[in-house]
Amino acid sequence: MTPSSLLVGIIVVPLAGAVLTPVIGGKAGKHAWTWATTVMVATSVIAAALVNQVARTGPFSAYLGGWERPYGIELRFDEFSASVAVICLLGLLAIVFSQKYAAKELPPARLGTYYTLLLLNLTGMLGFVVTGDLFNLFVFMEILSLSGYALVAISGERTAEMAAFKYLVMGAVSSLLVLFAIGLLYALTGSLNMADISDRLTGSAEVPAMLALALLTTGFMVKAALFPLHVWLPDAHAIAPSPVSAILSGLVVKTGLLGMIRVYQIYYGAKVLDLSSLNTVLVWLGAISIVMGAFFAIFQEDIKMMLAYSTISNIGYIVMGLGLASQYGIIGATVHIFNHALIKATLFLGAGALIYQTGYRNLSDLRGVGRSMPFTTAAISVGAISIVGMPPTAGFLCKWYIALGAVQAGHPVFGVALVFGALFIFVYYIRMVNSFYFQAPIHPEILEVKEAPLTMLAPVLILAALCLAMGLLGRIPLSFIEPAVTRLLGTLGG
Amino acid sequence: MVETQLVTSIVPPLAFVLPIIGAAGVVPFTANAPRLRKAALAAICVLEVIVAASFVPGVLSGSEYQTHLVQLTPRIWMYLHVDALGALFGLTASVLWLIALVYSFGYMEGEHRLGRYYAFFMLALSWTMGVAYAGNLLTFLIFYELFSLLTYPLIVHEETPEAMAAGTKYIIYILIGGSLVLLAIVFTFFLAGDQTLAAQGGLLALSMGKGKLVAVFWCFVAGFGVKAALVPLHGWVPDAHPAAPAPFSAVLSGVMVAAGSFGIMRVVFNVFGVALLRELDVMRWLTYFAAFTVVFAALLAVSQDNLKRRLAYSTISQMGYVALGIGLLGEEAATGAIVHIANHAFMKGALFLCAGLLIKRAGIRNVSDLSGIAQKMPVTTAAFAIATLAMIGTPPLSGFVSKWFLGLGMLDVGQPWYLAVLLGGALLAAVYLLPIVYAAYFRPPSAAVMALPERVGGEAPASMLVPLIAAVVLVIVLGIASSVPGMPLSLARLAAGIAFK
Repeated sequence: MTPSSLLVGIIVVPLAGAVLTPVIGGKAGKHAWTWATTVMVATSVIAAALVNQVARTGPFSAYLGGWERPYGIELRFDEFSASVAVICLLGLLAIVFSQKYAAKELPPARLGTYYTLLLLNLTGMLGFVVTGDLFNLFVFMEILSLSGYALVAISGERTAEMAAFKYLVMGAVSSLLVLFAIGLLYALTGSLNMADISDRLTGSAEVPAMLALALLTTGFMVKAALFPLHVWLPDAHAIAPSPVSAILSGLVVKTGLLGMIRVYQIYYGAKVLDLSSLNTVLVWLGAISIVMGAFFAIFQEDIKMMLAYSTISNIGYIVMGLGLASQYGIIGATVHIFNHALIKATLFLGAGALIYQTGYRNLSDLRGVGRSMPFTTAAISVGAISIVGMPPTAGFLCKWYIALGAVQAGHPVFGVALVFGALFIFVYYIRMVNSFYFQAPIHPEILEVKEAPLTMLAPVLILAALCLAMGLLGRIPLSFIEPAVTRLLGTLGG
Repeated sequence: MVETQLVTSIVPPLAFVLPIIGAAGVVPFTANAPRLRKAALAAICVLEVIVAASFVPGVLSGSEYQTHLVQLTPRIWMYLHVDALGALFGLTASVLWLIALVYSFGYMEGEHRLGRYYAFFMLALSWTMGVAYAGNLLTFLIFYELFSLLTYPLIVHEETPEAMAAGTKYIIYILIGGSLVLLAIVFTFFLAGDQTLAAQGGLLALSMGKGKLVAVFWCFVAGFGVKAALVPLHGWVPDAHPAAPAPFSAVLSGVMVAAGSFGIMRVVFNVFGVALLRELDVMRWLTYFAAFTVVFAALLAVSQDNLKRRLAYSTISQMGYVALGIGLLGEEAATGAIVHIANHAFMKGALFLCAGLLIKRAGIRNVSDLSGIAQKMPVTTAAFAIATLAMIGTPPLSGFVSKWFLGLGMLDVGQPWYLAVLLGGALLAAVYLLPIVYAAYFRPPSAAVMALPERVGGEAPASMLVPLIAAVVLVIVLGIASSVPGMPLSLARLAAGIAFK
């Protein structure tokens, strides 16, 4: 297989899989799970081949229909696109996890729809990260957003519909902003290809370019749920079925950040504007996000609500890293995009397993569950240790690199904010661990609960193992992403 | 002195791998075979002591051992390096752990959640050994944070409201301290790049800017000071010790608090280096804090009625000696500080093991109930008396050795007025510990003691008495035979000699 056909395949395979799910899944979605798993395995193989390719040769492109840029549609695979590997891995594990979970939580008639939407959502994300065309980017963003709204609402409960509606309104506004910005850039440059826009933007009028930048940033930051644009996130992520929460919190919000990296690639290269004031705003908002997310999380009783607020803190880390615009900061932010996906998926899937087995979702109701579900709670604890940034787990790399990045950028105070902001996050994870292990159960029957079934336990344990391994083997993702960040900052000229 | 040579060896990782095998490979599978579990864990701890001791002859003859483990980032390896200071700390920790483990077999009999207790007890040993042998700052940080965090289950083990509250306090203090250490390490890394801990420091240089260096130094000291219980950062110590099970209190006081002091030593000797610190002129502030700690904590200890609380304050005071010895920046004083870590570990360990026996066998937690206990528990009382004398610094017991060197060091650097602190601390130690011994032997029995039933057989199971006696024997031997090569003093001298070369 040539790299080009692989690039096309990573979009077409899951898309075709999604379209065919209602057909192959059969009545009441009997075979939908088997089919969706098969599709994701195939997609994962393609993703692995692509990542291998980029590691060997560096970035490469595919031109649809043989039309070179700027005339045709370009699919571009660079180091940032390697997030396809994480998307596929999490997608696969979430789908495996869904087998029992969805069958219990959802009406049977909706099972087929559920897997279709999941595959569509994953297609949207895969397309989003591999496209080189700004309008395509928008289209894929819409695919993943629309399927996301539907997935939040899929249980059909009243609260779920409300949360989905809130998510939809915010999401639609952000899409509109992005679309308007794309229109502006098209008017300015006459092109929709990102690399081409970057070239042509040089020397163009400052004000429209600045407007487009502001719109793109705002749009993507709504998607990423950066404070104060986060209001849609907690409800949507907490109320969705747990595998969907894992995907939404681990991956979907990250598309906003990956979109932001694409924006940086355009604007750093174009050198049309000085981005330092934007970066200052982002660093501050990142710092505020860390603290506010942690602050709200402390007061949550619902375990999934707590995890949802924790995502806001972590988005704060990443945005801060991007805004610092130093080598270490951006490497840390990028690697945390991947690592946080693994960690948050561990936590959400683990929480899902607890809810599935016990029927409780409040921390106080879950007291004592550590005794009856030792493996799941151990995995969640590993996730918790990792997300607060304990060495040598995956979460530590982000703290280390972004703090270094803050010093490198000459703003050590943000390093201090980062490290001490993490302490707040500790507070509520300690509460969680306390209630699992060290407090007497409120509901004695929780001690009789059985450990989660294998299709749920295995994904959680695999992810927890990755949380540890990605910390010890941090060199691999770090050295993988380094050339891309050097290139990005090289275009900045610094 | 012999030139040191660096030997690449596969033995150092064993020091932290062995206890992990115990925690993950033995404990979960022996829930229904308590005897097998005890035998296996004890065997692992014995092996651990052998591993730790195996470095000593080599280190004394001028070899140091290193291992590169994994590459954490493109620039930083996880790297172990056994030098004299680390070898001494590792050996002290492993021996005290063995003693406390065997004591646990008796003390924890019939307690709840034993699997969790033993697993985390072994893991704590693993992280401590990692701290001892860490060869660069990031490796140090990894083990230091793991062992700060993963001892939480041991502190809250009893799950009583007091234990939970003490645990919360512990975790808040320790996390803030850990964050400061992390920040300091980030700064050091930024200024110096990835460098291994060097024999005479020198990672940093004055050209990097005096203000920055001073900030980094205080960041380090404040961070480690939380664990080393430097006043005013000591708040968690008096609560955590009474809450934890006695064998864990022993290692908590003996080794874990000392790990903070060990961290300060690493910073002073191996990161900054003596020469740079003399130029920065920051150490005298450290000595002020340390001197205050010695006296202030000892004064507070006098008024504590809870025995374990009183001992906890005593630990704070004793760790003040260590910080004082480091702060004076003299070779003799540093020798005293380093050797005091080892000596204090066994003295305080013995005292906490006595306190545990009193709780377990007589139900006595308070000093005021101890009168006349010598009649019922003669071995425990005798052990307590010997450890008390050592703590005060009576020759020829081990406490005397460290204080002798500290005193010599004070004269050596020309600051004899610190002798007042040294003697004052010792005097106060007599005030807060000797009355206990006096009451135990010579006062009429208290109501609590009278109420104790006449025991048939010994005063406690052998699994508790033997470790206690072992600790007391060590207290005596480390005093009498302190100048024998291979004893802590020889390693401490070597370590100080290297640092001040």
